[in-house]
Amino acid sequence: MKTILYVEDNEFNRKIVRHLLSRTTYRLIEAVDGEAGVTTAREARPDLVIMDIQLPKLSGLEATRRLAAAPETRGIPIIVITSFALAGDEQKAKEAGAAAYLAKPYSPRELLGMIRDLAPES
Amino acid sequence: MAAHEIESRAVSADPAPGTISGQGERIPRLLLAYSPLGSLVRRVARIRASVHGKLLGAFLLIALLLIAMGAMSLRSIATVAHQSRLLDQARERVDASRQIEHALGLQMNFTRNALLLKDDSTIESMFRENNRFQDTFNRLEMGAPPAQRETIQRIRATQDRVMATVARIAALIREGKSDEAMELHLNEGYPLYREIATLVTRAVRTEEAGMGQLREGVEATYRRALLLTGGFAATSIILALGLGFVISWSFILPVRAAGEFLGQVAQGEFGRSIEVPNRDEFGELAARMNHMSGELHRLYDDQQRASHQLRVLNAELERASRAKSDFLASMSHELRTPMNAILGFTEMIRDGLYGEVPAEIQEPVTDIHTCGKQLLGLINNVLDLSKIEAGHMELALGEYLVEDVVGTVKLSLRALAATKGLDLVTAVSPNVPVCVGDAKRITQCLMNLAGNALKFTREGRVEIRVEALGETLAFAVSDTGIGIAPEQAASIFEEFRQADVTISREFGGTGLGLSITRKLVELHGGRIWVESEPGKGSTFFFSIPVRVVAEASA
Repeated sequence: MKTILYVEDNEFNRKIVRHLLSRTTYRLIEAVDGEAGVTTAREARPDLVIMDIQLPKLSGLEATRRLAAAPETRGIPIIVITSFALAGDEQKAKEAGAAAYLAKPYSPRELLGMIRDLAPES
Repeated sequence: MAAHEIESRAVSADPAPGTISGQGERIPRLLLAYSPLGSLVRRVARIRASVHGKLLGAFLLIALLLIAMGAMSLRSIATVAHQSRLLDQARERVDASRQIEHALGLQMNFTRNALLLKDDSTIESMFRENNRFQDTFNRLEMGAPPAQRETIQRIRATQDRVMATVARIAALIREGKSDEAMELHLNEGYPLYREIATLVTRAVRTEEAGMGQLREGVEATYRRALLLTGGFAATSIILALGLGFVISWSFILPVRAAGEFLGQVAQGEFGRSIEVPNRDEFGELAARMNHMSGELHRLYDDQQRASHQLRVLNAELERASRAKSDFLASMSHELRTPMNAILGFTEMIRDGLYGEVPAEIQEPVTDIHTCGKQLLGLINNVLDLSKIEAGHMELALGEYLVEDVVGTVKLSLRALAATKGLDLVTAVSPNVPVCVGDAKRITQCLMNLAGNALKFTREGRVEIRVEALGETLAFAVSDTGIGIAPEQAASIFEEFRQADVTISREFGGTGLGLSITRKLVELHGGRIWVESEPGKGSTFFFSIPVRVVAEASA
């Protein structure tokens, strides 16, 4: 069973992914800010991280950067959810170490497809 | 900001050795530094008179000296002339004296002859000589100096006695008393003759002495004239040289100081001032230059202050811009997060994630999804416009195929066209090469125009045509819709503008699409325009470079 960490401060959005993955074999763990995201990722070693770009305490980009830099989390693929705020968000996500990015608002269907690509259900 | 203090450095025109530059000026430099000429130059500079006045004064001084020299010379010439005249007169008197002596000698001779011959003609000769003696005597008396008068009077008196004696001798001879006549001649006539001869000799000697003195006087006058002329000439030359030196340096020094001063001003040293002792035009010039320097200093300060304020303002603007961009980022995220939930949940409901959707609920759920998408479109438009205006819109330039762009637009709008029963036709000219630009934004532009065309057309067709005209890529979107009145054609590209408010009620839309399209086209270095006829349809054109370069989007 694959574990997925979703780092997102908005309860409704977390609920979407919770519902989306409830019909799959993925196990979902959640974090509500950047720092918690990094800590949880280090402890739980998930198979995939979905990281919102804008988070309290530590930005999604910075959290991504840290996970990509740390040896124990370096191999975990990260999907960064961008919000098209400014030009170059996608570029920044890639530079920070994201495996893929998805613009908000995303289609749950599309997100599930991306998850299955990066961490196929066993 | 800190106030600039006016520095009290000064360029001085004092004749100090250091201030004089130039080659071959060692002598003037030494003279100015170590002789009284230096202070004289300062004093001349301080004279409250114009340059014209000073020069005129100097020339007049020298001219007066020359005039004085001329007057002295004239006086010497007059003295010499007078003495020459006196000399001539003295010489004449000497001549006259000698003639008198000669006449007297002749008379004595004739008297002797008369005594021997006793004829009348000889006696007549005797008297004739006497008359000539009278004429000469008058000449001698004329112009004689007072010292001679006594001698001359004594000669005349003696002569009178000679005349009387001669007359008596003549009478005696005529009476035939020869012996008495002879006796008279020897006893009275001859001694009288001797006396006159002595007197004449004395007079001649006196005159000759006077002539000697006159000659010496002439010599002395000549020598004095020579000395005076020489002295005046030398004085004139020294004065001309001195005045020339002093006056010219009293002008040269301030001019040099002004030159140096202006050089410093030209190098941006505005705080300085120039000090010249002159109270003439140069002094005035220096005062004006100081005024100018002060003004420049003030302007420089103002400019510094202004540029400082500008920097502060710039920093504030930068901060404001950063704040705006932060706000945009945060707004974008904040708006999209609930939109994500709305669209996400409706999509999952429609996908049956929560079980079979009852038939009567399917339509409202689809409506929520459609409206959510519309709302998202509006949010995207508003954010795009804000981004463009904040200068944060950056083009992601890359190679793209126009066919792909047109294909995407056609695919997205095909359903809408079909719903309205309109033909959506696309035509890309085969001459269009691979282009460079922000494909996503160009797609957005074309989508806006084609979407509008479909929106405002009830029947007929919408056509998208693209062709390359040299280095320009021309897009045209034409419809058979309601058209735009000419007076409205100009304003439709401005924000929140639709040709008519009633139109928005019927066709919807916020009026942001065209504005964003125009700005995106302009970011690509292109332009957009419309040709339309109300009731018949419109054609929107935009042209952008085939290969957009980074500068065009700046």
